[in-house]
Amino acid sequence: MTSSSIGMGDQDRLEREKFENELKRILNASDAAGIIMRVIGSLAFQKHCQKYGYLQAAMGRAYTDIDFAAYHRQSKEIQAMMAGLGYHENREVFIVSEGNRAIFERPEAGLHIDIFYEKLDFCHAIYWKGRLEVDHPSIPLAEMLLEKMQIVQINEKDIIDTIMLLLEHPLGDEDHETINIKKIAELCSQDWGLWRTTTMNLGKVRQLAQGYEQLSSEEKGIIDSQVAAALNRIEQEPNPLAWRLRARVGDRVKWYKDVDDVQ
Amino acid sequence: MKIVRDLMHPGLLTCRPDATLGQVSVMLTQHHVHALVVADRDGRPIGIISDYDLLAGEWLSADSQSLTTMRHLTAGELMSSPIDTVEASLSLGAATQQLIEKDINRLLVTDQGAPVGVISISDFVASIAGEEKLLRSTVADVMSDAILVCREKTPLLSAARTMTQAGWRSVLVVDAKGTPVGVVSGKDLLPCVQDGVDEKLTVRDIMHSVLTIDMHAQLREAADLMIQKHYHRLVVVDKDDQHAFPLGIISSFDIVAEMARPGSTWQK
Repeated sequence: MTSSSIGMGDQDRLEREKFENELKRILNASDAAGIIMRVIGSLAFQKHCQKYGYLQAAMGRAYTDIDFAAYHRQSKEIQAMMAGLGYHENREVFIVSEGNRAIFERPEAGLHIDIFYEKLDFCHAIYWKGRLEVDHPSIPLAEMLLEKMQIVQINEKDIIDTIMLLLEHPLGDEDHETINIKKIAELCSQDWGLWRTTTMNLGKVRQLAQGYEQLSSEEKGIIDSQVAAALNRIEQEPNPLAWRLRARVGDRVKWYKDVDDVQ
Repeated sequence: MKIVRDLMHPGLLTCRPDATLGQVSVMLTQHHVHALVVADRDGRPIGIISDYDLLAGEWLSADSQSLTTMRHLTAGELMSSPIDTVEASLSLGAATQQLIEKDINRLLVTDQGAPVGVISISDFVASIAGEEKLLRSTVADVMSDAILVCREKTPLLSAARTMTQAGWRSVLVVDAKGTPVGVVSGKDLLPCVQDGVDEKLTVRDIMHSVLTIDMHAQLREAADLMIQKHYHRLVVVDKDDQHAFPLGIISSFDIVAEMARPGSTWQK
């Protein structure tokens, strides 16, 4: 785990509410305009974890921005909607990323909105196609877990979000308040690199969860068994020849992309 | 009834586990074979390495660091292990079943547990055609600008016979205008070994879809496509004229032949 402090630190209630209220405002506007926008990142975990959401504040997990997943075909509508909400677009990001990412800002309010079109493409690519319709107002829980597990240099904030998710939701073979581990296993079975990073990070979550004094021993036990079940399900998925061939080469060749973060 | 011993290639072509991918590619090319048995110091088979495995060399060499790593990778590190085996006294049907179920191309043949030879899909294709399998003494399999073609209505038996006589592992199926519509490979023919060949069957009944690649694509792109889609060969086309007769076929063996070429990155 890296020691990056971004997304960590004390944050008062007022500041947290600023982000939560702005999220509601944007979601109301996108729903009214018929735009499919799904929240990802820390606020998605907060929205989807009614029982364990308090852990973010308790563990010093702060909001820094609001992230969304969306389809590229609606990028023009999103641009217009965000302008209507008082945001200024950093057009250079959209151009440089070849339309895969957009950043909107309201500097006077300290608000930064990141939109990822079609996929989240950092260490590994997580595609949205056909998945943004599955849940609301966030991406499905499976993609939320993968969003964190695909980060090779995983941070404490990502560990905290994952702990909340695993405490709050069961694993299963479907979506809707269930972490669709079948979907995760299928994706990992097609891509050895994603399998390598995901299983590595699940192991880190399992280990690091045991060190949080904010968690009871029962909660630590839940994390442990959830991770064990997830790993077990992932290992059961049959792997195609390409996966097996890549596995033979293993860590000798880098299996992930370096994150070229646009700030 | 024919048994595995009747079709197998007796003896083993082996390499050492510490052979580099470049060295393996040279051996495959020199012997005109698609796989070698990896044997330990005592000659005991410990794995199999094929031309398809060697595609990983091009596939994963996306940058200079990866290329350096892959150039130092050895047969022992990349081989498939353990080896799937079949007893020489077993029926061909039993061996075919194993190839289909495990989705593999060859089996190590054993006689009461001792390795005595190798049997591959090409051997089965030869058996369907009722032909003696030719030794690959020509470069036909490595040529990319010569293509073995047939029409959809070509009888399956005829295709198998032609493939065997020419020493090719596949035949491209084209329509009346020469546009590719499918490919028949040895793997497509395997079920016929089990079920027997219905003389009414044509290549249309068993062919699989064509995967094309542009003539200007990098070798690494070809390797990537073959591995991701689990294809052993790609039809080379001019993307600006998709419906024209294809320019050639690139196979996993072509890529290995390039790796084996003196002066290639893999031989430095």
